[in-house]
Amino acid sequence: MGPGPHPHSHDHEHEHHDHLHGTPAVVDMSIPDAELSPNDVSRRRFLRGAGVLGAAGAAAAAASAFATPGVAMANDDDHDHGPFGRSWAGHTRRNGYLWLAGDHHIHTQYSNDAQYRVIDHVQHANAYGLDWMVITDHGSVAHAKIGVDKVNPDIVAARGEIDDTLVFQGLEWNIPGAEHGTVFVHPGPSEVAVLKEFENTYDGVVVGATASNPTNEALAVAGVHFLADAVSNKRVKDALFLANHPARKGIDSPHEIRAWRDADPRIAIGMEGAPGHQAAGLVNGAASARGFYDFSPSADSFPGYPAESYRTWGGFDWMTSTVGGLWDSLLAEGKAWWVTANSDSHQVYADIAVRPTPTGDFNANGRYDDPVYGGGALATTNGDFWPGFYSRTHVGASDFSYAAVMAGLRAGRVWVDHGRLIDSIDVKVRTGGSWVTLGDTLVARRGSSVQLVVTIDLASGPNWAQFIPVLSRVDVIRGAVTGPVANKDSFTTPDTKVVQSVEVTKKSGQVTFTYDLGSLDEGFYVRLRGTDGKRQAPGLMGPAVDPVGPAMDLPGNADPWTDLWFYTNPIWVLPHK
Amino acid sequence: MNVIGLDLGHTTTVEAEHWLAHLPPVLGLVACTHFGAGRVLITLDGLDPSRLPPETGVAGPEGAAAEAVRQHADGTGGRAVRYPGVESLVGSLRVDEVLAGTAIERVLVMGLPDRPEAAPDAILDTRAFVRPQWMDGRLTLLTMPTPDGHIAPFEVPNPTPCCAFH
Repeated sequence: MGPGPHPHSHDHEHEHHDHLHGTPAVVDMSIPDAELSPNDVSRRRFLRGAGVLGAAGAAAAAASAFATPGVAMANDDDHDHGPFGRSWAGHTRRNGYLWLAGDHHIHTQYSNDAQYRVIDHVQHANAYGLDWMVITDHGSVAHAKIGVDKVNPDIVAARGEIDDTLVFQGLEWNIPGAEHGTVFVHPGPSEVAVLKEFENTYDGVVVGATASNPTNEALAVAGVHFLADAVSNKRVKDALFLANHPARKGIDSPHEIRAWRDADPRIAIGMEGAPGHQAAGLVNGAASARGFYDFSPSADSFPGYPAESYRTWGGFDWMTSTVGGLWDSLLAEGKAWWVTANSDSHQVYADIAVRPTPTGDFNANGRYDDPVYGGGALATTNGDFWPGFYSRTHVGASDFSYAAVMAGLRAGRVWVDHGRLIDSIDVKVRTGGSWVTLGDTLVARRGSSVQLVVTIDLASGPNWAQFIPVLSRVDVIRGAVTGPVANKDSFTTPDTKVVQSVEVTKKSGQVTFTYDLGSLDEGFYVRLRGTDGKRQAPGLMGPAVDPVGPAMDLPGNADPWTDLWFYTNPIWVLPHK
Repeated sequence: MNVIGLDLGHTTTVEAEHWLAHLPPVLGLVACTHFGAGRVLITLDGLDPSRLPPETGVAGPEGAAAEAVRQHADGTGGRAVRYPGVESLVGSLRVDEVLAGTAIERVLVMGLPDRPEAAPDAILDTRAFVRPQWMDGRLTLLTMPTPDGHIAPFEVPNPTPCCAFH
């Protein structure tokens, strides 16, 4: 169970269940197990195991304490699920945190280039092990007018139906003057109103502000401020923004990324380290580029980006995959800016469902009609995986709640993987008896002896391609903190490189290593990267910086299952002033 | 011959290439697209301005088109659409044939930090869409390996269409 009560929730939940819904079936022992849903059976088993439920006769207190999150969310509210966080079986706390896997970039039939129901995605994501997910249909005129409202009841219903995956409502923002981004809010009575106002005011497509120019760039910054205000004014409990597929078209310039982040680092927290569409480069699939990264520069592109930035590297976006590149240039400034990995699922590779014929009038209805069975043909030109099938963003959360997932993302307690390369990773930077983990900063006296301590649980079972991934190597990447840059369009930093590579010879179980970070002098950060070792090449900054980094993905020849990587977010170490 | 610059208000390379396709055939012409001021600019090396379509304004010494002219003249920027030999770039060709038969001066392979030159006997799958760029004073084609061991231009003729949001 979670570490303690959310002080505000108990009475409210109690009221809900006594007066609005009666006793939940799970604790109503007059209902036999056989008549419960499988989820409720497992929850009842859990409650029994926890000593909360006796063999018969439910306590009213238990009813309120263990309310189903879906019921609470459907009728409330800006609360999570009840007074306690919960730890579902299979989630062991590590250093006090539950590590919850999720995906913040998923499209439904309310996107004009997608097709699935909300529940299609939620039940797949749940089956594939995701604990949280964000529905992010494209900002568009039809979505702003119709879809943003109509998708909400579907999301609320999914929350009720699947109670061990948290389902956020968000949207995929057409960032004025730039690429797309995930914007999402904490569930609550105003989640739709805030998203709708945001979309109608700040979406580049809706308001006609897609071109790259200073006016549109200012509108993007204003959008970040709007979200911050919505939280400050308590319209929503929380809101976050992350840049999606940032290097794909070269239109997220370094100064724009810095401007979003600096506008409010509580809201603008990071970017997709790895884009979705990871099946798009399969030889027998669409024969296009992994991530659908098949673009070249346009009039809106930042002219400084090299051709290499328009392709993915080991499935990751060039901004993240390049050691000493754009991401590192932000980290070297000391800027919190986190990376994630998501599905961007629109239409799933080799799926057997299709849009119906006719599809329904998207512009009139704000959505396509429900998908139908396609007759058995495998849609091999689709480029996406289901949420949770391949890409995962793991967040260290204080409990199983919407608020805790958002707080964990904001804190950068995040690591990402492809294809279940590893089960889990525990990263600590310590000095003496003090330590911090991902996203945090350890401040210590100059001269302190500092170590990096890493524990990895190797893959203990098969992934969704039915093989057990084998971790080959872990790289420690270290960079100097060089402070703010004068040129906001900087996208390299000179003092970041791979400082240690650890070959992994074990095939199962746990791998632990300690790396001596030396005696603290000037500030620095460390981050980690690991690989199955199947495709690699010297990094773009040269072999002295990154001798065996991810290789550029080749169009039509990028099998995502034979090129697996994980990345962690950084930990900084700073000396006392 | 001097390089001339045109700022015709195009916003995409497709528009600019469509306009360039209607220029008369001129021996030795190198016609490039450039990006600047949020637009696509055109530079022409080897075309007498009198042969431009009527009322095509040639850019003066200031502005984005003038900068494009400088890049083309210096060999530091510009993406060539029409250039000597381009009509021969169909199907698959050996790299040495490409270098011998067109204005392309070198073929580089992406993926490594130093972009090594393609082997003379490497096979280039042209996809009938070959757009070399001025880099380091040389008309340079950037390529990537293909699934069957050939190389192909970095720029694909039909990227994920702009109407697909993704």
